[in-house]
Amino acid sequence: MNEARTIDVGEGAAIPSRSDWGLFNAWTISITGAVGAILYLYFFQSTPYKRIAHYVADGIIITFQVTIMSILCACCIGLVVGLGRVSKNKAVNLAASTYVEVIRGIPLLVQLFYIYYALGRLLNVHDLTAAVIAMSVCYGAYMGEVFRAGITSIDKGQTEAARSLGFNTKQTMFLVILPQAWHTILPPVGNEFIALLKDTSLVSILAVSDLLRRGREISSESFLYFETYTLVALIYLVITLILSKGVSIMEARLSHYARQ
Amino acid sequence: MPVNSPPTAPIVDIRHVSKSFGALKALNNVSMSMSLGEKVVIIGPSGSGKSTLLRSINKLESVDSGTIIVDGQDINAPATDINRLRMELGMVFQSFNLFPHKTVLQNLTLAPIKLKGMGQAEADEMAMRLLDKVGIREKAHVFPAKLSGGQQQRVAIARALAMSPKIMLFDEPTSALDPEMIGEVLDVMVKLAKEGMTMAVVTHEMGFAREVADRVVFMDHGAIVEEGTPEHFFQNPEHERTKLFLSQIL
Ligand SMILES: Nc1ncnc2c1ncn2[C@@H]1O[C@H](COP(=O)(O)OP(=O)(O)OP(=O)(O)O)[C@@H](O)[C@H]1O
Ligand SMILES: [Mg+2]
Repeated sequence: MNEARTIDVGEGAAIPSRSDWGLFNAWTISITGAVGAILYLYFFQSTPYKRIAHYVADGIIITFQVTIMSILCACCIGLVVGLGRVSKNKAVNLAASTYVEVIRGIPLLVQLFYIYYALGRLLNVHDLTAAVIAMSVCYGAYMGEVFRAGITSIDKGQTEAARSLGFNTKQTMFLVILPQAWHTILPPVGNEFIALLKDTSLVSILAVSDLLRRGREISSESFLYFETYTLVALIYLVITLILSKGVSIMEARLSHYARQ
Repeated sequence: MPVNSPPTAPIVDIRHVSKSFGALKALNNVSMSMSLGEKVVIIGPSGSGKSTLLRSINKLESVDSGTIIVDGQDINAPATDINRLRMELGMVFQSFNLFPHKTVLQNLTLAPIKLKGMGQAEADEMAMRLLDKVGIREKAHVFPAKLSGGQQQRVAIARALAMSPKIMLFDEPTSALDPEMIGEVLDVMVKLAKEGMTMAVVTHEMGFAREVADRVVFMDHGAIVEEGTPEHFFQNPEHERTKLFLSQIL
């Protein structure tokens, strides 16, 4: 009998592996190319690129705002969901699992529409807030899995040692398990952050003026579709490349710390 | 220090305890009691239920039937605060289980500070005294990963003692150690025994059993087959299974 094999498929943004530090790796080529292209277009093809760049610039800020607020909320939701998923309380466990199951079964775009219009109609919340809530609810489910995996990666001897000293379940979780799980949780959280940043482009369909929406606005005004989307794509690329480098550096630091 | 005060009401009383894992009976109607200051060594072949018995005393393993009374309290009674009761039961594991994200000192002070409301300074002082006792005062500010197995286990003993337990439970404390480190851990345990600590020890170290045990308990297939003084045990065991086990291990 053959053993079942599992393969490891990464997320969209390639995280450079540590054995790959050379000059000619995919990451260096991409970042040099993308930054080079942006600079070239901005300075040597100033019309129309300068105009487009200035127009979409504040969209970048909105994109970051949505991303950062969403990831923070998603982490909070994720912690609760993760704790629920490892809980011995059947009702809590079932609720958390159902949440994850439902969210993962609905396309993000559909969820966005749904939460956005539901919230907008019922509570009259602000566009940006609705978008952040929608992204957080969705990513909270994925984050819940990250937390669950982090928590279950800690040896059960740690729980036993803590309980035998007299700590209750909650103290054991917050004083002993989570501080250790943090190290395994951080890198995947970084990856989710990058994935979320890319997915925020979906909120451009709602009335949120993020990078992509600003691009859509200027292109429909100026008919410079090709030029606009070239620039928008390059900007997304540069941001995610920088972030993915950040994650891989953090990962290296953490594993160094773990070896100490 | 009182050495072996005369047996009064048992401090641990295990009565007719059974426990199954699926179809496997890990404990089969086991009864055993310990009096204050008594040192009981539990021996037996692998899978005989020694760990399960020990772990059921502080309810790391909950039993299916029977009662366990610790210090006058039924550990399974709804009114019993098990977390409070566990503070009186120190436990030392085969795999040390130190908290890797805390220094040696913090490993010792965490529980007294959080659970007993002890002040930092007082806790530090108490911890240093215990580290002195187990002979690794100089490692107080080091992380556990930097210590040898023997040192880690001595810290683990000190960590359990930091809660001033009435009873110490040891589950094969030297089985994960390189041979040259077994002595340093056993020395600490002997010292503890001489100070009058009540101890239940699962071990394969027969020298320790001979020197320290008031009573040796032999388990097989989830049941206590024979118990008695070390002299009885090592000189004229009654049961065939005991003889066979001892002939294999000695
Ligand atoms: N969590 C568990 N789930 C299923 N079976 C278990 C579990 N814990 C113990 N057992 C089984 O119960 C029996 C008794 O186990 P126990 O660990 O108490 O034995 P032991 O005497 O301590 O053995 P060893 O010397 O190997 O530590 C064994 O057959 C073991 O496989
Ligand atoms: Mg065992």
